[in-house]
Amino acid sequence: MSDLALDIRNVTKQYAEHVAVSDLSLAVPRGTVYGLLGPNGAGKTTTIRMVLDIIVPDSGSITLLGEPHRTNGMTDRIGYLPEERGLYKKMQVRRVLRFLAQLKGVPARVADQRIGEWLERLELTTAEKDWGMSKIDELSRGMQQKVQFIGTLVHDPDLIILDEPFSGLDPINAQALKDSIVELRSRGKTVIFSTHMMDNAERLCDSVCIIARGRKVLDGGVEEVRTAHSGRTVALAVDDRSRALIAPVLADRALVSRVDDQNRFYELELAPGADPQEILRRVVASGASVNRFELVLPSLHQIFLETVGARGVEEGMSGNG
Amino acid sequence: MGKLFVVFEREYLERVRSKWFLLGTLLGPAFFFLVLVGPRYMGGRSSVTANVAHIIVLDATGMNMGARVSDALHERFPMSPPPVVQAVPQSELPLAEERAASRVQRSEVLGYLVLDSSTVTGRSARYAGRNASSLSDIEAVRNLVRQEVLAERMEREGIDSKRVAAFARIRLEMHTIKIGDAGREQGSGFGAVMFGYAVALTLYMMIVIYGQTIMRGVMEEKTTRVAEVVVSSVNTDTLLAGKILGVGFVAITQVIAWVALILGMAFYVVPMLPKPPVNEDLMTGAAAAPGVDAFAGTIPSISPGTAIALFLFFVLGFVFYAALFAAVGSMVNSQEDVQQASTPVMLLLVSSVIFMGPIMTNPGSNLARTMSLIPFSAPILMPLRMTLVPVPWYEIVGAIAGVLIACLVSIWLSARIYRVGLLMYGKKPSLRELARWVRYAR
Repeated sequence: MSDLALDIRNVTKQYAEHVAVSDLSLAVPRGTVYGLLGPNGAGKTTTIRMVLDIIVPDSGSITLLGEPHRTNGMTDRIGYLPEERGLYKKMQVRRVLRFLAQLKGVPARVADQRIGEWLERLELTTAEKDWGMSKIDELSRGMQQKVQFIGTLVHDPDLIILDEPFSGLDPINAQALKDSIVELRSRGKTVIFSTHMMDNAERLCDSVCIIARGRKVLDGGVEEVRTAHSGRTVALAVDDRSRALIAPVLADRALVSRVDDQNRFYELELAPGADPQEILRRVVASGASVNRFELVLPSLHQIFLETVGARGVEEGMSGNG
Repeated sequence: MGKLFVVFEREYLERVRSKWFLLGTLLGPAFFFLVLVGPRYMGGRSSVTANVAHIIVLDATGMNMGARVSDALHERFPMSPPPVVQAVPQSELPLAEERAASRVQRSEVLGYLVLDSSTVTGRSARYAGRNASSLSDIEAVRNLVRQEVLAERMEREGIDSKRVAAFARIRLEMHTIKIGDAGREQGSGFGAVMFGYAVALTLYMMIVIYGQTIMRGVMEEKTTRVAEVVVSSVNTDTLLAGKILGVGFVAITQVIAWVALILGMAFYVVPMLPKPPVNEDLMTGAAAAPGVDAFAGTIPSISPGTAIALFLFFVLGFVFYAALFAAVGSMVNSQEDVQQASTPVMLLLVSSVIFMGPIMTNPGSNLARTMSLIPFSAPILMPLRMTLVPVPWYEIVGAIAGVLIACLVSIWLSARIYRVGLLMYGKKPSLRELARWVRYAR
């Protein structure tokens, strides 16, 4: 048994107008939480759709749970929550869920039992009301999202793929989703999710892959990635009166390539070849009163901006996947 | 196979469970009942305008023909205001016609009838009026004039006028029997016409109603984005097949329910109704047939071969159009676009129906033959033609083969459009983009 849940090798998908994914390779170890990061239009959804055999790559290979991804019955072992969510509006909740479970090869009786458990766990069936008997369009948005989440997991998949799962969730539901992801991982499941919210990825993921314009920019464990980019970032805090004094130093492109004002402190990205000690000397020489000067591990957010930069984000904004 | 059944089951059960299905199943036979039986309870002569005799008779014959016709009209249509007779010399006829026309314009009378020397010789009469395009009105008036011309001639030959009246006013009903390849068939020729019409119309209705049901179903999956989840579990070909099969079986279920209900009504409800008034309408034999016989005569015996052919035409015709409708549904994103995008498919369907009338009046014509062989109209028009006249077996087989090939093409094309379209959002594709979808599906 392969220890990779997903192994994508040199996959390319080209449309008439543009290249959606170009020579992409990535490996997701079993039992991990993996983040697929990238701006809109980077090719995340296309990649996910290829994994799910909804579209076929032009070249390259995809291996799922140790077998070629187009093996019969393979998609039954994957749970998928698409970015754009929706269900049959006029259908009863239990029937929708049974339909989704049966499509994944779960016998109706087993499905009904699991659906009952899930509805109770997510408080859709309570002493007063069984929302399972209602039609989808009688449910609130939050409840519909819960139903959709049950639909993703009702067949107990080994690999769960969530496309932008946090978009549109309120803080309480976002927390519940985060808990669920952690719980799935603790049961040995592999979770892959795409997002452009770096904070979520940094907190949740074991490994990440950043893609932009259909190409992989970097990948690896979150801590490895951050370490690899360390030594280039400085956190600097001065008291308010000194802000004006250090402005010339921060503006010196020979020392600092980018400044991110975080309000309570500045996050500085060093210019290539610049020495952090030189910055410190210049700041002190300017007469500013320094509260903090620290070489820090950059956030994923910063690495993302640094690696993808303006080049990927702006061009990618118009795309849809 | 398992997944196909899951999709099929959902499509079928969700639709059969809905209250609209129940409503349609109950209303269908009621509609049929109203159309076939209703008119006879609405006064028997409903096909002729109520005040058909309220006309001016311009008599230029100089031999009192106008009064005869006027009396006959009044006698025949006692419920209508009586005609007004004006005797005019031949030379003043144009002026009299003008005056009569303006009275018709002012709606004082329904029309005017001109009788002149050529009427007496049995060649022609003229009628102008608001109902001049009502075939049954004109036919009724024409028959009366003919009858009176005949009576007048017989009297001139010295036959007693009372006996003439008895001779001339014969009303003859024509009972028809169809002879096919196997000899005489049960049921009247008229029954076959009604049966063929009913079959063709039912096929058309089922294709339109359930084809569009499929189209809306596909659109729903696309616009609600359920499609995203569904296609991650089942490939689009299976999904499309399950959908067409599921909805197709709903249609079959409905037809079976209709036939059962109609037969039930024919044998249990109709005999309990009061006899309709005896019909004196000259126009249609349909209305003349008494209640139960009409039903019995409407359903001629069908050979097993014909039954199989009818079933094949229904199934293949449905699949052909259903696949096209599904492709249309997957192409569009909004209700506004769907109207426009489905127009080509609807045109194909409607063009078949336009030819139903001409084919019914002359089922042996070349037009009938051609239209019943063209694949897109064959599923509706060949069954119609088959019930009207004997059709050589090789034409039937040829038509079925044609529809089958058309079916395969439509499935192939639609499956590819569906595959791409289902997850493609944004504007409606142009023809060029569609062609690209078909070429590069997946």
